[in-house]
Amino acid sequence: MASATANPCIRSGVALATTYEGDDPVLLERIAPLVDAIEIAPDTIARSDSKQQHLRGEVLDEYSWLGPRFRFVAHGIGLSIGSHDSWNETYLRLLDELFSRFDLEWHSEHLAWTTCGGENSGTMFALPRTEEALDLICERVTRIQQRYGVPFLLEHVIQLLPDAPAQFTPAGFLNAITSRTGCGLIVDAYNLECDAHNQGLDIRAFLDGLDMAAVREVHIAGGVQYSGFQLDIHSRPARDTTLTLALEIVARAPNVRAVTYEFLKEAIAPLGHDAICAELARLRKAIQQ
Amino acid sequence: MTSLAVQQQGLLDLIKGRTTNVSDPYLRDVAGCRELAMLREIAVWWRKVHVESQCRFTSRLLKRMRNFDSVVSAYFNENATSPFVEELALDFLRTLRDDPDPLVRAVSQFECALQSVRLGSADVFEVTWDRHPDLVIRALEQASEMPAAEVGCIYRMKVANDIPGLIACTRMLTRSATASACE
Repeated sequence: MASATANPCIRSGVALATTYEGDDPVLLERIAPLVDAIEIAPDTIARSDSKQQHLRGEVLDEYSWLGPRFRFVAHGIGLSIGSHDSWNETYLRLLDELFSRFDLEWHSEHLAWTTCGGENSGTMFALPRTEEALDLICERVTRIQQRYGVPFLLEHVIQLLPDAPAQFTPAGFLNAITSRTGCGLIVDAYNLECDAHNQGLDIRAFLDGLDMAAVREVHIAGGVQYSGFQLDIHSRPARDTTLTLALEIVARAPNVRAVTYEFLKEAIAPLGHDAICAELARLRKAIQQ
Repeated sequence: MTSLAVQQQGLLDLIKGRTTNVSDPYLRDVAGCRELAMLREIAVWWRKVHVESQCRFTSRLLKRMRNFDSVVSAYFNENATSPFVEELALDFLRTLRDDPDPLVRAVSQFECALQSVRLGSADVFEVTWDRHPDLVIRALEQASEMPAAEVGCIYRMKVANDIPGLIACTRMLTRSATASACE
């Protein structure tokens, strides 16, 4: 594959990024000219051989083919930063490996927990918005900032279960983390719509209450409704309402550096390359306006 | 305010279908809510996606037998599932080692052996079949009729890295010592 040239008119402003998890070089070749950056989820490009986990060399090589002008950010799934007992050291080793191979502009993780007592729950649970959780998260964010020395962002996850008793509002909890640690935020427009649909979140009140200066990245995706729930399964182009919301967040957040369109690897076949490229072109146009 | 430790252990137990500390008011609310059922369904669905992608033959066999969903659901409930698909697949296949159905045992252990060897295991794996393995695999690949178990013979298969093609198989009569290589 020839080295891709990132769109120069976006580089000084808000970049367009997207997910790529490897094994589809034809797709990579098609999306490379449409975006400025690739979001790499270390967990999804990892392999376990005889209990030794490592990043798949062939996927890393695919990223390298894009050339030195391309930008990369890491977005974790499995750190489990909110686990009461310990976070996932295996994920950090994978992240170390990724940092040793690429200059990542920033990295991020979900504000959630996936493991408890070393057992994987099979899903991502939101944290209760309590002082105890705040202390735990802030201590770990500080450690991770010291470890990697590049900006670290947290993303709010959808809250499918009923809200646990809380000492903070959703925005207030995020503000407390960012003000105490200096970390940044990812605001996911589709997650907000899921929470509004499933839990009645007041998106306006959330955004009005959020310190928008901390927002560095905006996520956008499309999903499905199932059994009355709006699900956080990135399998579709974004709805117009999601795009409108994402653009509003970009307009209100002075330090946003990227808008990232996320889709699952499992969704590539049903979506098709054409639809993914069309979506990226649509997002590019919307961001530039 | 419930501690993080109590809340997280309780939610883990609930999503795994285990009994939990129902004295906690929040966990009690969650235990009976439809959102928990949805979250569980999604978690099991992901395990099914991963098992299906990694354990092609076993998944197809279980689907033929119409119990793929329940087997994966039970596996999710009863085991600490790995987030790494290779580990998840091997562990899932190992749990079928004692399945009462000899065909499920054979197909799952064959697939487990093959994956282990491909991941670098130096072990020699033995799998016993009650019918010709090639015909079974072909039936699963082509969704064609499954051969019946053969009376009076078994197939002893070895899977190992130092075997050319990784697999060797011998047909053995169960009422005599006669053996012949599978064709």
